[in-house]
Amino acid sequence: MSEARIHGIVLSGVGGQGVLSLAQIVLEALRRTGLHALQSEIHGMSQRGGSVHAQVCFSEAPLSSPIIDEACADLLISLEPLEALRYVAMLRMDGHLVVSEEPQINMEGYPPLDDVYAALKAVRGAHLVDTEDLARRLNHRQAGGMALLGMASRYLPVSDDVWRQVITQRFESKGVRVTEKNIEAFEAGRGLVQETVGA
Amino acid sequence: MDQSTLALGVEAVGCAAFDAGIKGAFGYPGTPSTEGFEFVEALIHANPEGRVAQWAANEKVAYDLALGVSYAGHRTLVTMKHVGLNVAMDAYTNSALTGVRGGLVLLVADDPGMHSSQNEQDSRRLAEFAWLPCLEPSTVQECYDYTWRAFELSESLQVPVMVRLVTRLAHCRAALFRREPLAPTGLGVAPKATVQDWVLIPANARRRYVDLLAKQPRMIQDLSPLNRLQPGAGRRGVAVSGMGRAYFDQLAQEHPALAALPRLEVAAYPVDPQLETAFLALVDDVFVFEEDYPVLEERLGLRGTAKVHGRLDGSVPRTGELTPRQLKTALGLTAAEGKDAITLDLPIRAPRFCDGCGHVDAYEAMQEALVNLGVPDARVFGDIGCYTLAAQEPMGAIHAVVEMGASISMAVGAAMAGQTPSVAVIGDSTFGHSGLPALLTAADSGVNVTIMILDNRVVGMTGQQPSQALDQVERMVLGMGIPEAQLQVLTPLPKQHDANVKAMEAALQHPGPSVVVFRRECIQSLRRGVLKEHDRDEKARLEPACCTPEARP
Repeated sequence: MSEARIHGIVLSGVGGQGVLSLAQIVLEALRRTGLHALQSEIHGMSQRGGSVHAQVCFSEAPLSSPIIDEACADLLISLEPLEALRYVAMLRMDGHLVVSEEPQINMEGYPPLDDVYAALKAVRGAHLVDTEDLARRLNHRQAGGMALLGMASRYLPVSDDVWRQVITQRFESKGVRVTEKNIEAFEAGRGLVQETVGA
Repeated sequence: MDQSTLALGVEAVGCAAFDAGIKGAFGYPGTPSTEGFEFVEALIHANPEGRVAQWAANEKVAYDLALGVSYAGHRTLVTMKHVGLNVAMDAYTNSALTGVRGGLVLLVADDPGMHSSQNEQDSRRLAEFAWLPCLEPSTVQECYDYTWRAFELSESLQVPVMVRLVTRLAHCRAALFRREPLAPTGLGVAPKATVQDWVLIPANARRRYVDLLAKQPRMIQDLSPLNRLQPGAGRRGVAVSGMGRAYFDQLAQEHPALAALPRLEVAAYPVDPQLETAFLALVDDVFVFEEDYPVLEERLGLRGTAKVHGRLDGSVPRTGELTPRQLKTALGLTAAEGKDAITLDLPIRAPRFCDGCGHVDAYEAMQEALVNLGVPDARVFGDIGCYTLAAQEPMGAIHAVVEMGASISMAVGAAMAGQTPSVAVIGDSTFGHSGLPALLTAADSGVNVTIMILDNRVVGMTGQQPSQALDQVERMVLGMGIPEAQLQVLTPLPKQHDANVKAMEAALQHPGPSVVVFRRECIQSLRRGVLKEHDRDEKARLEPACCTPEARP
């Protein structure tokens, strides 16, 4: 990543999935890495099952705008497939998309899943992650978010050590076991050999 | 690593208030202002030293509490969202005449784009209306630094000072550097000689209004270091404020030519007219980027010969939130090319009632009762809170939502105009906020209205803050003059549905005012255990030691 360029990350999902917590972990990891970073989020009715999104931007130089313009994001992390599609136009030509395959169908008119997957696979640089399967294998119902972050971390200039520190800090109040399960999910995501589709 | 912490813009305001030595913080929850109070509340609870943090019944009460702290000689913060300032407007405008003793800072968070609000009014206009200073930061660190400065200005100018944020800054999270906190030491109560300043009978108010106007030049002068003119080069310039300044600064990093433009940076109002005139003399065209109303744009348009471009001439959309893309478009920069947008039709995923929410059961009982009485199309007046979600289809259960507390008075008005049945739906916290005086009038009017109070025991929508009406709704209703026979308390649960429908039918058929309280704790607060401690204490209080099983022989 070139110096002083402004990098953008968009995170999306459904209220209650933990989009904002994930964004805060990313923000803290970038800050600990010594980068300038800003996060933008919208609160309010979000926890009531509606669409939620947050943005994080970072640079080697000081930043003042927390908002990324369309076509300027390097990375889109989505906890839900339909919610990913809303933000694809935020990505640069060479941007990456890391998305869970697990739909949250709590709305009228959710498009056929095959159409959703096909649209995602048509995006160059998309990684679809079977978070449901991963959660089962790890015996950790909420592993999805951390696994996606693990996979997305390949595209972020943050060291393994820093990720560990930040995840530990985030979950330590919930006990050692919860912390370990989350680090395990992060590492599982990071290690996933995932076919890059749409290339 | 540096010594900063991460904080939201509104949190930085709360943090600065604590560090600047406030004695009291007050507010009423409202997005995007809520976390400002919560942040300072947490700091105070961790380290009280005689400080207080108190949610108030509404914004006017919060403001008056703060004014009392100021009167007693201490620094104080009061927080609210933009429409909350309408509620506190009487206190705010009149406190401009009384002036303040201890520094009084008002945090107002505007919501351009109406992410979570019923309008996008611009609080800068209200500060102007009250002849009071308004500081407008554009970064999280400025939120902190300007708030600290606002306390100093408030005490030196002896007026309340507004710190105005917008959603994007209020909910921008970034590194924050704090200063060494001050202890909450006060100035002591105002000297006897100034007592008449606080008594706004006409003779004093006339004198104080003259004083306030006479203070304006000093206000402008003291604020002037926050407003800057950069002469630059060329005859095309920009005037920026708030997030417009943040977005422009960022763009100027990417496009160095922009950094060389003549630029007027505004962060404090009122702006010095001489500064505006000096700026306008440098340019033929000026683009104004500010969040919300065209405040700066109108001022500049009235003052010079330069052509002013912004929301009024369509260079920037007239309504909605300002975006970096709008700046690019107005300045003629080409937008980046990215991935193709998705062609698949993406339906909106609207917020919805939580699974198991008691509001749904209350509405279902109401709707079935209306059907049973042969008025399935009855128009129902709603209010502000999670239960507003019922206005959405397919439920479509409420047909008017205007402002806090409006449901009751509108239902009474409609009943007076002949609407039968006339139903109001209001939450417990909104009832405590603005419903009480409306219910007093409803009881006095004697007209046929049915008022449903959906009591979920917390301020649900903004994050389950404690409701001021907690455990007191029935007493309040009776106290306002509703006869005991016309007050019913129901539990909104599916298994109670049939009984609830019958109770609603009885209330709807009663020819005078009646109140139906549907009480079940918000399932979010239940899950978080928000009221656990309260309920345990309350149970212990109602069940004296002599009667507990352990105490029995």
